[in-house]
Amino acid sequence: MNPVQVTTDAFALLFGGDAELWGIVFVSLKVAILGLLIAAPPGIALGYLLAMKRFRGRRVLVVLLQSLLAFPTVVVGLVLYMLLSRHGPLGALQLLFTQDAMIIGQAILAFPILSAFTLSAVQGADPRAHETAVSLGAGPWRAALTVLNEARFAVMAAVINGFGRAISEVGCALMIGGNIAGVTRNITTAIALETSKGEFAQGIALGLVLVVLALGINFSMALLQGEGGMK
Amino acid sequence: MSALLGLRRLRKLIGGRAMLDLGPLALEAGQGYVLTGDNGSGKTTLLRILAGLEGAEIDGLEFKGRGVSGYPDWLRRQIVCVHQDPYLFHTSIAANIAYGLKARGKGGAEREALVREAVEWAGVDRLAATPPGKLSGGERQRVALARAKVLGARVILLDEPTANLDSEARAQTIALIEKMCRDNVAVVVACHDRELIELPHVQRLHLERGRLDAVP
Repeated sequence: MNPVQVTTDAFALLFGGDAELWGIVFVSLKVAILGLLIAAPPGIALGYLLAMKRFRGRRVLVVLLQSLLAFPTVVVGLVLYMLLSRHGPLGALQLLFTQDAMIIGQAILAFPILSAFTLSAVQGADPRAHETAVSLGAGPWRAALTVLNEARFAVMAAVINGFGRAISEVGCALMIGGNIAGVTRNITTAIALETSKGEFAQGIALGLVLVVLALGINFSMALLQGEGGMK
Repeated sequence: MSALLGLRRLRKLIGGRAMLDLGPLALEAGQGYVLTGDNGSGKTTLLRILAGLEGAEIDGLEFKGRGVSGYPDWLRRQIVCVHQDPYLFHTSIAANIAYGLKARGKGGAEREALVREAVEWAGVDRLAATPPGKLSGGERQRVALARAKVLGARVILLDEPTANLDSEARAQTIALIEKMCRDNVAVVVACHDRELIELPHVQRLHLERGRLDAVP
């Protein structure tokens, strides 16, 4: 393998409009974004409730959530595989090796990140924000939206970290997606499996896309925070 | 004539000890009250209880002669509390003042007119384009007073509104408090500020060892 040659090939793939390559990128984006859209409302709501309410079992839930942050993606994949496989309890849905299964998996992976980061975002927000909203007559929903809006940059960080987890994980997508070309092959599964076949150029090209995505998202967030940081 | 807001007895227990045990208390419309007491005497806690932000045992709570149990939403809409260092939402001054009106379902031209009026009332019209985070302490206090006043609430509770303000900002804030009383609002001001304590027409209340006494 000649690194220079391989890198040149990678750029040729990227800028030559290689349909297969961009198809793989599209699958990754689609699955991660849909997974995030499913996980964000309940994830953010749970984080908010854990930050604001005191109830029995709250601490256990918080510790559980924090442990889930480091949960191996392959284990999530394994559990989902067993549930979704033909003889599993959800086998009748015939979801195994589909994009839908990958979306479910990535939603599950993003969920604890969304919750845990929202929890700390709301805990870090000024407690007077909620009191002021309530004292001015806001009901629970309006007060919640106000607090989340006041902590919007930290909540956005939660969403971006959730997206980062979803788009970069390989274990779950590989196990329940199956790396089927043109269907469930995404950036990470392609890199993992195509590299083993000696297809370095595609791997590097996809890796570059992933890195550029991560940089782009984080730069745009830094930019937004810079403009909105009124504190 | 019955008081605007009255209660027979108010008790706040913390760790089995009565931090506050006071009553009866009656607030009249259009009257200013100055609440004094040492630091830690419970002035802020009392205001927070009256605003429904903190629980306490309250007996014989009445609003306009009507008995009240618990702290219902309609009562919350009549009583607004302003923090010592008021929190302004990171939106705009106008959006801050409009917040409570939105929560009350007031919209459109009516809301805009009320907000405009309140902005003028508080003398913050020249600051319209300034983000709330860039306002001075006195300006923040005036926006917070406008935000409370615009709601047409009958009771306004202010926690040390003039603390940490320079003399000009203090004078402006005190003038706004007097204007509120003239608008028939019952205003309770917790403070150490001599200028406020010695205002004519205000009724002085002193909190000590959990009890509230009228000061002649």
